[in-house]
Amino acid sequence: MAKFIFYRILQAIFVVFAVTLTVSFAIRLTGDPAIMLSQGAGSITEADLERIREALGLNRPFLVQYWDFVSGVFVGDFGRSFMGGTSVGALIARALPATLMLALVSLFLSIVISIPLGITAAVSRGKWADQAIRILSLVGLSFPNFWLAIMLVLVFSITFRLLPPSGMEGPISFIMPAATMAIILTATNVRLVRTTMLETLRSQYVMVARAKGLSETKVLYKHALRNCAIPLVTYFGLQFGGLLGGIVVIERVFNWPGLGTLAFEAVAARDYPVLQAVITVLSLLIVSINLLVDIAYGLLDPRIRTE
Amino acid sequence: MRNVKKALTAALLASTVMVAPVFAAGTLTISSPQDPGNWDPIDTFLVNWASVATNIFDGLTYRGPDLELVPGLATGWDELDDGQRIRFTLREDVVFHNGEPFNAEAVRFTFERLLGEQGAAGPQQSNYVAISEVEVIDDYTVDFHLSEPDPVLLTKLAGYGAMIVPPQYIAEHGEEHFDNNPVGTGPFSFVSYSPREEIRLEAFADHWDGAPELDNVVYRFITEPSTAVAELQAGRVDIVIPPTIPVGMIPTIEAHEGISVVTVPSPTVQALRFNTQSGITADENVRKAIIYAIDRQAIIESILGGEAEPITSFQSPLAFGYDPDMELVPYDPDKAMALLAEAGIGAGATLQIDVRGNDSTFNEVAQAVSAYLSVVGINATIQPYETNVLINDIIPEGRTGEMFQQAWGGWTFDYDNTAYLMYHTGERWNPYDSDPELDALLNGQRSITDRAEREAMLQEIARYTADRALEVPLYNVNAIYGVSDRVENFEAAPDSRLRLTRVSVGE
Repeated sequence: MAKFIFYRILQAIFVVFAVTLTVSFAIRLTGDPAIMLSQGAGSITEADLERIREALGLNRPFLVQYWDFVSGVFVGDFGRSFMGGTSVGALIARALPATLMLALVSLFLSIVISIPLGITAAVSRGKWADQAIRILSLVGLSFPNFWLAIMLVLVFSITFRLLPPSGMEGPISFIMPAATMAIILTATNVRLVRTTMLETLRSQYVMVARAKGLSETKVLYKHALRNCAIPLVTYFGLQFGGLLGGIVVIERVFNWPGLGTLAFEAVAARDYPVLQAVITVLSLLIVSINLLVDIAYGLLDPRIRTE
Repeated sequence: MRNVKKALTAALLASTVMVAPVFAAGTLTISSPQDPGNWDPIDTFLVNWASVATNIFDGLTYRGPDLELVPGLATGWDELDDGQRIRFTLREDVVFHNGEPFNAEAVRFTFERLLGEQGAAGPQQSNYVAISEVEVIDDYTVDFHLSEPDPVLLTKLAGYGAMIVPPQYIAEHGEEHFDNNPVGTGPFSFVSYSPREEIRLEAFADHWDGAPELDNVVYRFITEPSTAVAELQAGRVDIVIPPTIPVGMIPTIEAHEGISVVTVPSPTVQALRFNTQSGITADENVRKAIIYAIDRQAIIESILGGEAEPITSFQSPLAFGYDPDMELVPYDPDKAMALLAEAGIGAGATLQIDVRGNDSTFNEVAQAVSAYLSVVGINATIQPYETNVLINDIIPEGRTGEMFQQAWGGWTFDYDNTAYLMYHTGERWNPYDSDPELDALLNGQRSITDRAEREAMLQEIARYTADRALEVPLYNVNAIYGVSDRVENFEAAPDSRLRLTRVSVGE
């Protein structure tokens, strides 16, 4: 087991390294921030641009800039934003909790909804409840998330003025963005829970449990659901990673002060330090979650550990 | 289940109380599309810096929504030594928000900082290089010594980099503190700043121009137009400042009760410029034909909802150097075809139009242009680029198609700031053309301090570029504000620099 974890951690470090290197390199191909910074400043000469590049440290070779960034990350210094010199560490420290909270609330909501719905669909397979749930899930899958978000804003913020259309001003601000994400997630999760449950229900130990005369609730929630846990935990864990990526659009629509909004604006402004830092933090997060899932998987299922 | 229902109802009711517009009387909330990230005047170039900071800082001169240059912290000025020296008389009894007095020393400090090492790292310095020295004559008199006359200098003194900053405060707290905690002499003083979220200001009762009507101002940074408009509709934002609202959203706002759209001509102009070096547009007659072939008025009516004015040269009517007597090239496809025939261009000629891919309105305009061109037998393809790629790589490197989009927002409202950069040989926005006669005109007007004479020369430059058909001057767009009806005494500023001294809010 120790060896298994050791190799997984090595892999994770390599992935984070590769991601940051690629991103740092790729964003430098997309244009010169000095020109972005001097637009509207009137007459700009090549000498002005050179001065600004020097002030931003952009005239140094790429590998030097990259090394600077990486060595900074190790001591917790993410550098300064090109937009006004704000400390990137401070920006991330504000944005990361906002994004994590939104992602966790959305995932939690989705799990709470999809497990009972999925089980109901599996138990009443082929009956009207199953059909209804499957149709609902298909409808949920077909919504583009930004459209759903805008519709929610129209109804709850503009027509009824119940919820704030944007910003993060306390628990009430979570309702619409989390609901949007949860609806989209639930649409897939319900199907997953249903399929997993159907498979489990066919197994012999379920038959044994029923033969013992246990109540159907006990059979479902005590025996079957536990055995569904392995694939579901893996899937939800991996989903959390994908969720962090998908949150960008939702954050933008709701002006959520999270990593997505930060990354979006950094791309538009060619703000290399901010973008590098956001991507590094996101990849660290996703890689660690995958790592945890792998380890949890190994713990839950001895067969994987021994391989 | 019943309990859940009860809890939900309670939660919804509670939320209603929380969300219903809870504006304190006298608080104005503004949505701004971008956080400049730094409030120091010499570190910025962004319009959305100015839309906030014009309330925190004052310059020696001030230019309001009517674009007239009026005294600011200077009560008057005299040009001496043939424009090589300008003497300013300063306003007395002005204090900074921290209580520090404003005087000649503050002016000298401001410009030495701007023109020295501190300013060199920012984008503002190059606008003020004509100033060689600021000499303190007495507490309320300063002389600006100029290395060369700069006819636009007085206007620039109302601009970003020339805002007067407090010497003692900066010495005491340091540059970095000043970036995030600005202090000026303006009508509102700084309260708090959350990067990428909001900045809060409060009224500065001791302002020399009288205390503001409002108590507090909150600027929220909202990038997404539909989100900003939703906030306006929900009654949680009072003013959405440009550039946020696209033309397409005007009907949505107009249809909603309690809010409205206010538009004002902006300095921003759009043109389709020509590659005058290669392709069919190297021929002047072809360029003229293309201008005749495009019905700009129809484009403005149908795509821009009428929120623009056709232009005769690459400047807005607000710019110094604009010639009201210059005539618009009419829409005349027959003449276009005749000119094309003269140039030996038959049906089926092709050209490429480069546009900013994320500018959806302009993409529609480009499609309309392409349709007009097909009427006269030219097949135009539209090549969208990511904005930054277009302005960083494609245009300056001379890698455009035969035509390319150029949007320009000359904040000095002086044609020099546009024309020199667009037409002078070797400028980065001018990758194709080199015209000694035009260069001579462009250089000549820079050394003339007589306003009327210089205006005439700028008008001559505009006519010259029209004669050579260096671009299709398209239109001057309006700046679009979304405003709640509770806002009183609102006056839309063409340059987004909303000074809020006289603005108030009703119930």
